[in-house]
Amino acid sequence: MAESETPEQLVTGDGRTHVSSGLMRESLVSSRLLAATDGGEVRAMVPNIHMIAIGGSSIMDRGADALLPLTKTIAEISDEGYKFVLGVGGGARARHTLMIGLDLGLPVGGLARIVGGIEEQNRDMLQFLLAPHGAVTLIKEHFQDLQLFLSKGMIPICIGQPPYHAWEPPAREGRLPENGSDVGLFLMAELLGAPQMVFVKDVDGIFEEDPRKNPNAAKIDEISAAELLERDLPELPIEVEVLRCLENTRLLSSFRVINGLKPQMLRDFLQGKPVGTRVYRSAERNRA
Amino acid sequence: MTTKRDGKIWIEGLDNLFDGKQGTTLDTLAAEENLKPIVPVMPDVWVLKMGGQSIMDRGAEAVNPILEELVQARKDGHEYILCTGGGTRARHAYAVALDLGLPTAMLAKVGASIPVQNARMLQMLLAQHGGIMVYAEDFEKLPLFMRMGVIPIMSGMPPFEFWEKPPKVGRIPANRTDAGVYLMAEFLAAKGVIYIKDEDGLYTDDPKKNPDAKLIEEITARELLDSGQDDIVVERAVLEYLDRANSMTEVRIINGMKRGQVTAALNGENVGSVIRKGR
Repeated sequence: MAESETPEQLVTGDGRTHVSSGLMRESLVSSRLLAATDGGEVRAMVPNIHMIAIGGSSIMDRGADALLPLTKTIAEISDEGYKFVLGVGGGARARHTLMIGLDLGLPVGGLARIVGGIEEQNRDMLQFLLAPHGAVTLIKEHFQDLQLFLSKGMIPICIGQPPYHAWEPPAREGRLPENGSDVGLFLMAELLGAPQMVFVKDVDGIFEEDPRKNPNAAKIDEISAAELLERDLPELPIEVEVLRCLENTRLLSSFRVINGLKPQMLRDFLQGKPVGTRVYRSAERNRA
Repeated sequence: MTTKRDGKIWIEGLDNLFDGKQGTTLDTLAAEENLKPIVPVMPDVWVLKMGGQSIMDRGAEAVNPILEELVQARKDGHEYILCTGGGTRARHAYAVALDLGLPTAMLAKVGASIPVQNARMLQMLLAQHGGIMVYAEDFEKLPLFMRMGVIPIMSGMPPFEFWEKPPKVGRIPANRTDAGVYLMAEFLAAKGVIYIKDEDGLYTDDPKKNPDAKLIEEITARELLDSGQDDIVVERAVLEYLDRANSMTEVRIINGMKRGQVTAALNGENVGSVIRKGR
């Protein structure tokens, strides 16, 4: 074979035709092989943008009282040049969907398939409110067009629910999908390589007890995801699965939970001030 | 015009009063002791996976005899969805992506193209027998396809793509075609899952590399996960999901290189290896 042709490598001899690579003939299941692919630099897709997750129950369901001041601040920070993706959760109607679905005996994948419809309603309402300031909907099929939107100073708004649909894995306990809007937006932030991610809820952060029930509950300023999992707090304002995801990320090393009823907190967050609660990965990982 | 409760917009019925029980919440409905039996979505349908590296990459010699059996099985009334694995080209794409420092979600995204190629190849081969290509978007049309008597062919890859989670160790996506096929069957509460590979079943090690590896005819997912075995014939994610399955409580691995094994498995015969849910 002429030398110019040789980098193209097809390997035969065991009944199969392989493309030569470091993973040739491997099952990709071997623990030893997986360990060999660990480490090394991981690149970010769209670095230097923030991920802002707007709570469904905590913010959207409050209507104008919460949303008008918050969207005003969001429009201002966009005009000031901050680049970010807005994501949104479901809320009361999503919980109602799950209640009816559970009562009907739908499987986990069936519940995951239907619950995202509510988030689409919330996304569309949020997009309408922010449209005068350049908001556009960001759907999965256009995820790779994100830079186009950002370069024009637009505010991309997406739903949180990850597209696992019928393929939602069975839950560790019970029958509710473990992967909700918080998980979906968190994974998106990890892929983008966002330097910061914030969950905008209706409490000042994560508390030892539910602050709406016990006004004397102590706020946690900083905590690792592993420790938060260990503590198993009854009223966590974010999905538990986000904590498991954070322990395995390569790029995103923390997130914050802030109060969207105090829009100034969002501004403070973007300026790097220590607002709300910071949850961080307990181990160091590599990044490019 | 709007009613609020705790500062949130509320309408009557949003907290459904199931059986007249006031204060029923999502958490009480979702509690283990209150769960309703799961409605089986398509309980008469098998979910089959044609191995990528193990079958497709062998070409006609391996693929055609299996398709002959499958066509006959469809004529005999067996209902199934035929899914495909990736194989060596997916491994090459992963190797390139790893070299470039791409994250796991990108590996999942690029890896997804190869099983689609394989599914399209099978669709062309089976078109004259009713083979049709089905995408995740058409998934809800499966009952129609079954009633038409066609053979739906799908990529085995789950639609996670950019939302594939970074694994604890390494950078290869944990959910690939074995996991996708299993999760599809779990959702459908299918008749069964059969992985068509090129070995007699599950071994104590990779039999292609270790001639002393022994066949395991039956084992539980938990035993296998706890055994510390380095190489396993199906993705570990399948074992983890199987361990907490609601509907699909076993999977079977058979040797598609042996004539008659596919037919035997569809007829409920005990061929190959079985991995079950259980302790």
